[in-house]
Amino acid sequence: MMRRPLASLRLAALALWLLLSGCATQLAPAYDRAVVDGLNAAALETMTLLAAVSAGTEPASFAVREPRYNALIGRLDALALLAGARPVPRNGLTDAINAALAQRGGPPLDDDSSTAPSTHAIRKIAETVTKLRDTDRKRGVTAFEAMAFKGQIVIYLDQAITYENYLQR
Amino acid sequence: MPLDISQLVLDMQAAATSVLKADVTTFRGFSDRQLKAIAQQAELVRLGITSGQITDETREFFLDGLEDMALSFARTLRGLLIATVEKVWNALVGVLWKAISAATGLILPFPVLGELQ
Repeated sequence: MMRRPLASLRLAALALWLLLSGCATQLAPAYDRAVVDGLNAAALETMTLLAAVSAGTEPASFAVREPRYNALIGRLDALALLAGARPVPRNGLTDAINAALAQRGGPPLDDDSSTAPSTHAIRKIAETVTKLRDTDRKRGVTAFEAMAFKGQIVIYLDQAITYENYLQR
Repeated sequence: MPLDISQLVLDMQAAATSVLKADVTTFRGFSDRQLKAIAQQAELVRLGITSGQITDETREFFLDGLEDMALSFARTLRGLLIATVEKVWNALVGVLWKAISAATGLILPFPVLGELQ
């Protein structure tokens, strides 16, 4: 007669163990497939646009490119919102790093750990494409400037993509 | 049942090493790419400014960009480091709690790192 309550107790204990085992500590935001997919799509679209302006542009043909610029900027802004909407768990790591830096007389790191670093990188990509669009509209861009815009965008893209992929754990 | 301390140390080492090995490879690859790309961008901007191919219209933008890219790189590294601390912590505590539970038959709540600070 005592076997059934014991079996139930064991089952409950196992369920509790599985539940608690799943509650691993989280210090970084959750991996979000939608952000990663959005980044990959935006990277492709950005590189295609940069290839189209790589030889330099003239303002006379800006109207042809404008819809592509605007669509890309809109997509990047939406992606930055999506990436920044995830809660970032509060942790004392920055405080610990700053305490160690202070002991050595070094400048502290800023405490902007409330948003994922990829959010900033995506915003900067959007800003760079916006600057490229505005310069293109105003007087066209030189081939050299197109190369510099591309260099800046690639660096931020690498930061965002590396971080977001790293969150898959 | 007593804990096998030597085995526990080996298990924890293995758990931490498997996380760190993969993560250090990622860190190194990312840092190498970024430092090289930022240095190349700095040289490109310098060359463009001195040759006049980067105009007054975009000069300040690219110079500000260099400064921000370096800061953003540092922030990204910090983000990767925080995620690594999380992975190592969870791997170690997973090994420890499994061993203690097996030895005592107790069900222990999984500790949360933030609560220990």
